[in-house]
Amino acid sequence: MESIAKQKIIEDLLPQKFGKAGKIWVGALLVVCAIGFFAYCRQLSKGLVVTSMRDYASWGIYISNFVFFVAISLVGSLITAVLRLSDVHWSTPLTRIAEIIAVSAITFASIIIIVDMGRPDRFYNLFIHGRLQSPIVWDVIVITTYFFVSLLLLYFPMLPDLAILMKFKEKTGAGLNKMYSFLGSFWKNTPEQIHISEKAINLLSITIIPVAFAIHTVTSWLFATTYRPGWDSTNFGAYFISGAFLVGAGGVVVAMFVFRKAYHLEKYITDSHFDKMGKVLVLLALLYLYFNVNEFLVPAFKMKKPEEEHLLGLFTGEFAPVFWFAITTAMIIPILILLFKKGRKPLPAFVAGCLVVIGSWFKRYLIVTPTLLHPFLPMQDVPASYRHYFPSWEEWAIAIGSLAGALLIITIFARIFPIIPIQETITETEQHEHEKA
Amino acid sequence: MKKHSRLLFSALLLQLIGIAAFAQTAKNDLSLSVSYFNNNNQLHYLVAHAKSKIDGKFQMIPNINVSFYIGSETPANLLGKGVTNNKGECLVLIPPAAKQEWNKSAKPGFIVVSQTTKQFDESKGTLDVTKAKIQIDTAADRKVTAVLLELKDTVWTPVKGVDVKIAVKRLGGDFNIAETPTYATDSLGMVSAEYKRDSLPGDAKGNLIIVAKVEDNDLYGNLSSEKMVPWGKYYPYKSEFDKRTLFARRGKSPIWLELMAYSIVAAVWAVLFFLFGQIRKLKRLGI
Repeated sequence: MESIAKQKIIEDLLPQKFGKAGKIWVGALLVVCAIGFFAYCRQLSKGLVVTSMRDYASWGIYISNFVFFVAISLVGSLITAVLRLSDVHWSTPLTRIAEIIAVSAITFASIIIIVDMGRPDRFYNLFIHGRLQSPIVWDVIVITTYFFVSLLLLYFPMLPDLAILMKFKEKTGAGLNKMYSFLGSFWKNTPEQIHISEKAINLLSITIIPVAFAIHTVTSWLFATTYRPGWDSTNFGAYFISGAFLVGAGGVVVAMFVFRKAYHLEKYITDSHFDKMGKVLVLLALLYLYFNVNEFLVPAFKMKKPEEEHLLGLFTGEFAPVFWFAITTAMIIPILILLFKKGRKPLPAFVAGCLVVIGSWFKRYLIVTPTLLHPFLPMQDVPASYRHYFPSWEEWAIAIGSLAGALLIITIFARIFPIIPIQETITETEQHEHEKA
Repeated sequence: MKKHSRLLFSALLLQLIGIAAFAQTAKNDLSLSVSYFNNNNQLHYLVAHAKSKIDGKFQMIPNINVSFYIGSETPANLLGKGVTNNKGECLVLIPPAAKQEWNKSAKPGFIVVSQTTKQFDESKGTLDVTKAKIQIDTAADRKVTAVLLELKDTVWTPVKGVDVKIAVKRLGGDFNIAETPTYATDSLGMVSAEYKRDSLPGDAKGNLIIVAKVEDNDLYGNLSSEKMVPWGKYYPYKSEFDKRTLFARRGKSPIWLELMAYSIVAAVWAVLFFLFGQIRKLKRLGI
């Protein structure tokens, strides 16, 4: 490969300083995070009473957010591991996007769980006095494990890029160069190092799949191991995983579009990538729709008396607008858009991706809260506020702040590191040209 | 005009009186009955049942004050007073003080009287019983026999053709000792049945209580007699407290769960530590 072309790839993919729009974006995210932090300080000083959670709806949008973060984090295993092990090369430019989404999401999944605790100073008790029989402890173990697996899967493929970045000190700046040096100065691109790195990436790709399945299955078991209307299902693990892959893929499509636009990466994230990711998204949306039909149609067909109120609440009752909004935006409209070739162009695919992500967030809310408001035993002698749930401004601020925090990690990561793997792109382009010749 | 007003006023007054009179007569009928019980030929008691037909359905009436009498409704023959419970029942033991009246006849009569309430007028129920008793006996070959005797003048005489139930007493009711729940007495007033149950849980010594019963008989009321037999089996209570179970405290999880969980965690973290080692190896190679 000619060094000019190689040079062009490096120049194109080097991290770039924030422009005006980037600075406004980061500023806006910081403001949202600050408001969220302020709300959390209020919650810490006054207690969980500032939320709308009461005896019945004891899990609100914090836990919905937690399930959403865990779900979206699964994309790292789908794009990086599944496609890599399947020897699919078109996904190479998307792997780092998927991995940083996974790392930021799993980080905030852990944080939001602590936010949901009335006494976060007692968090350590979960480790000291945790019962191995409890799915909550399994979740703690598996989230920690998944975080490290994702971090390593982000780190190993980045080593050759760090060596490249160190050569562009004048462009990246001395401060960042020090960090690159700390993280990857030892990388000399020797055949032995390449061999070890490839072996490690393959091993991680194999490891991350069962760990990813475990993380979301265990999260689903937090619900399914309790006997409540809407949660009492043997299908929950598969239902959660299919939904997680869908929202993760939707998130990647959104990020692809934004990075492509912001960093002018049209040559690397092409229309073909949107076309292929669009097809993946349709497949996953259909799969999730299938599980939804199973989850709701079968109980609705039987309409067992204790579950009737919960189901009717979703279909025609107080949760019906959110329920049908979630089903339509997360699955039906994206399927209708992406089924057609024109719908898999960047802009419509981006719109479909946004719908999937937004609809999926509301879907998580519907999994968590309506069930808690429809217990088997009737609610008696309780204040009216216990019978309904609408998040307080503090809850909204903290939940939106956590989403902004996850976006901030991704944004800052893209400012510091190449969002598309440089070395892998060079190697694949070389191979491609070699095959042509 | 004045005449018309007077007429109208008189008509209204009459109507009001009529409504008031109707309201007073709109009480429901209270049906009062009494049952006699004789347990083990020792404990004699009466149970009053108060019910009424409301909205076309018989309903048990609670909070009715009732008085029980033996022989005649006089203060001297008062057995006791009580109030019906939620099942519309009120129980009174026949006190030793009534012995004289009880001994007067082989066929004593009982009267139960309810007090007038806002909803019900006074009501009365009567019962005549023939004094009778059951004697139960068992044999080593797990055979149960019971004899039903009635008092004729001063002589206990066998009774023929009465259904006697023979069962094992359990917490929630009676359990047949064989396929047939009841047996008719023969000319000797006797029924016999074979105990065919196996390994029924008994008390700490494996004892069971066999019971012979006559239930709701028009002549004799409810009679029963019990006998303890060592035909059961002792099942020692195995406490699951502080054992390794899914619902136990921390550190007491089942071994299979610990093996599974720890081996999965160990396997995954072994891979991770191996990879951390690979980073160190890469560093060494790069120096």
